[in-house]
Amino acid sequence: MTSAVKSGNRVAGEAARNANDPRLSVEQVSYAYAPNPQQAPVFTLEATSFQARAGEVVAVLGPNASGKSTLLEIISGALPPLSGRVLLNGFVTHQFEPRTRGQRIAMVQQESQLLFPSKAWEFVLQGRHPYGKSLRFESGEDVAIAQNALAQVGAEHLSDRWMDQISGGEKQRVILARALAQQPLLLLLDEPTLHLDIGAQVDLLETLRRLAAENRYTVVVVTHELNLAGEYADQVVLLQKGKALRVGSPASVYQRDLLEQVFQTQLTVETGASGRPRVSILPGS
Amino acid sequence: MRPLTLSRLLLQCLILAIILFCVMVLALKFGAIHVSLYGLGRNLLRVFLGKTSDISTEYSLILNLRLPRILLGAFVGAALSIAGTSFQALLRNPLADPYVLGVSSGAAVGAILALLAEPHLALTPEIAAVFTPLGGFLGATIAIAAVYFLGRRDGRIDSNTLLLGGVITASLLSALIVLLLTTLPTSNFRGMAYWLMGDLSSVPSQPLAWVLRVGFAVAAVVIYTTASDLNLLLSGEKEAMHLGVDVRRVRLIVYIAASALTGLAVSVSGAIGYVGLLIPHVMRMIYGSDHRILIPASAFGGAIAVVIADILARTIAAPSELPVGAITAIAGAPLFIYLLRRRFA
Amino acid sequence: MARDSRAIFVSYPVADKESGSFHRAFVNLSYRVPTLLRHFATVGILFCAMLAFGLQTNAEQANAPATRGSFRTVSDETGRTVRIPVPVRRVVSLAPSVTESIYALGLENLLVGDTDYCDYPEAATKIHKVGGATNPSLEEIAQLRPDVVLVIKSLNRLETVQQLERLGIATYSTDPHSLAEIRSSLRRLADVLGNPAAGGALDAELQQKEELLRQKLQAVQATRVLFVVWTEPLISVGKHTFIADALVHAGANSVVDSSQDWPQISLEEMVRLQPEFLVFANNHSESVVRDVEALAKRPGWDLLDSVKRRKFAVISDAVNRPAPRLFTAVEDLARQLHPEVFAESSVPAQPNPVPKGPN
Repeated sequence: MTSAVKSGNRVAGEAARNANDPRLSVEQVSYAYAPNPQQAPVFTLEATSFQARAGEVVAVLGPNASGKSTLLEIISGALPPLSGRVLLNGFVTHQFEPRTRGQRIAMVQQESQLLFPSKAWEFVLQGRHPYGKSLRFESGEDVAIAQNALAQVGAEHLSDRWMDQISGGEKQRVILARALAQQPLLLLLDEPTLHLDIGAQVDLLETLRRLAAENRYTVVVVTHELNLAGEYADQVVLLQKGKALRVGSPASVYQRDLLEQVFQTQLTVETGASGRPRVSILPGS
Repeated sequence: MRPLTLSRLLLQCLILAIILFCVMVLALKFGAIHVSLYGLGRNLLRVFLGKTSDISTEYSLILNLRLPRILLGAFVGAALSIAGTSFQALLRNPLADPYVLGVSSGAAVGAILALLAEPHLALTPEIAAVFTPLGGFLGATIAIAAVYFLGRRDGRIDSNTLLLGGVITASLLSALIVLLLTTLPTSNFRGMAYWLMGDLSSVPSQPLAWVLRVGFAVAAVVIYTTASDLNLLLSGEKEAMHLGVDVRRVRLIVYIAASALTGLAVSVSGAIGYVGLLIPHVMRMIYGSDHRILIPASAFGGAIAVVIADILARTIAAPSELPVGAITAIAGAPLFIYLLRRRFA
Repeated sequence: MARDSRAIFVSYPVADKESGSFHRAFVNLSYRVPTLLRHFATVGILFCAMLAFGLQTNAEQANAPATRGSFRTVSDETGRTVRIPVPVRRVVSLAPSVTESIYALGLENLLVGDTDYCDYPEAATKIHKVGGATNPSLEEIAQLRPDVVLVIKSLNRLETVQQLERLGIATYSTDPHSLAEIRSSLRRLADVLGNPAAGGALDAELQQKEELLRQKLQAVQATRVLFVVWTEPLISVGKHTFIADALVHAGANSVVDSSQDWPQISLEEMVRLQPEFLVFANNHSESVVRDVEALAKRPGWDLLDSVKRRKFAVISDAVNRPAPRLFTAVEDLARQLHPEVFAESSVPAQPNPVPKGPN
């Protein structure tokens, strides 16, 4: 079953759909919590919608506390929305069984809190957990998929290293490899570039774009790196204080007055060599 | 990349089982009555074949006194170690032991109350024999339920809240124990002191022994089915959830099963300390953190440790018997310090 | 799925990154593990489990109590029904007071085992020891094949009794709380051991002593005393203990009114109650003299009249054991508390070993 290594073909049933149908459909999701019974609930996210196809990279942008992480959690299905729903190939994400969710949606968070030291290959193999029976021993196929995942992020040389002995960027790659080992349809990343140097940041986004294209993932990345998003995303969702101000291609979203209003600072927007918008801060303003 | 396979798991278990077997045979040799290995083998065979009338009185005593005690020690060691491993994973805390959530204190209160009530109740001999362990188990169950409800947050078990709830309950119950021991008229101080330290001299009689065996088997198997999930839980709850672990269900199952194991062990032998805390760490150093092998390894390791401690307890101050808990504490404390320095130095 | 059917190279994962000599033996050990081993291992584990469980079941069945001779059923002092073989030839005592009683009854030929703490009379120290009173070795006891094991409720553990019962060894318990009960205990004990006459004789002797003493102390007002078990913290005896009863028979009255057996009491309360005498149970009276001198200098204690005026009595620690020697200790205490009553008696007064301070 070497074809299992290519994730897209595995969901043969669902692929019977028109390949151009949106795979991910976020429909009017909102979220609020009540700090205490007397006060009115606080809305962290207000009716937000967007759609994404297979192979697309979506960037969710916004200043701090704009509801980006909440939106990501809702998309992953871990957090049920107050209103609205998220559909993945027609199925509501927060109604997935845990194992099914593990096979469809992979989440990459910033840092992994490892209690006891483990090796990178062990870590990546965890991504195979949603498959097969609950208590089982990993098969040769699992091993092959895990190795391939490491190869795809360029981290095979880290396979036998201890997780707490590798650098931040390398750890990020291994965490990503684990997500790939899940062979998901949807790949979600929460501020993956936070602790990386600029070279590693570009590396990561390049990898994401490549993987999305090759393996037909839908990728949703939460970030506040405007230029990275502008360069690598097919779609941008701009949030401010829980409201989605604009959804669209980077060129359409990166309008100067809009960005200045959201980020509260003077900047200019130009078009770069690749045809993508580039944002610069105006000095001394 | 060489993940754990069934073959390797079974091989390790076999090696550990052989070591346990040798230790148990060694334990059978020590004691007041002189035992020869040949005589032991011959009489064991007779028992196994059912020719019980051919056994000499000496070996009959061995089989009725020493062997059940050794088996009890093995069972208690295994139960406490599995519980310790589970709690360390559940609470994501390497310092967790089976008693941190107050199960043993609850069992102690139950046992004390049973000991105090026993003279005033007209019990038949069969019930009287199991009254104290029963009280202990009842106390343990109440403590488990109380801590569970304390440890809930938004309807789910939260590690930190659980730990806090457990610690609070444990200290509350310990204070209650001290109060009971010093104020109530009939003081079975000595009995309770031995119980609190952990003592293997009260081998349970048959009906209770079966409850223990079945309870242990069920709880151990239930915990083992979550072994892969526990591996993932160690990376973090949110991540485990995204990797397909039903965190809520796993926590509940492990909490109940591990607490049940602790309650069973503590009800019959008191609170033997350090086993549940240290054996998982030692086994982790040898076998790694993969719970599919760590859980059975801890079980065997705990059994071996307690049987050895029991040998010492029976021989050091002969003919008096020391409580097993005293031996595990004396050996355990320095080992704990050594492990701490090794890990975090 | 291609799985375990092919040979797999295995090695042991090491979690601790510092590869010390401790687990070097395990690291880098790789060899082929065929599937056959898996089967052997499974069978082996199952077999061991079966063995362990099966053995225990069969072993307990092997414990059929030997039915040699006849039995009789008695009720012991804790209300338990005990089946004792007739005649009784071998006895193990698990309490020093019981050992003393057996010697006093003249039945020491039956004694085959006692505790490490059985030190009176001298001959008792030569008997085979089975361990402490609270933690005896069950194997030692069982090996002696006793007909009955004697315990007392206030010293021995219930667990010990239960385990002996499980082994089919008869266990008889006494539980006296007064001098009269000690005497009846001795009677019943002698009866259980098959020599009621000895019990009757000892009982009569002790009763006579008791009666004589009672007559002497008839007109005397009871001295208010504090029986000191321990000074830090201050521990005395409760009103339901035989020691409290012993005090009454010595013409004294414990000021401590507690239902606990060994109550811890506050010094303040004692200062309020001001007992006339302190009573110590110690075989070495000189050390008590020293202790009281030390107490006199302590704050709180120096408020007690009895300490200031050095009014204390020292008796043998036999008072702690519910055995015949207790009666002698009681008499000794009476002499110290009420010397005037004994000065007129025909029996010459025993020399009082305790130097009384000026009072």
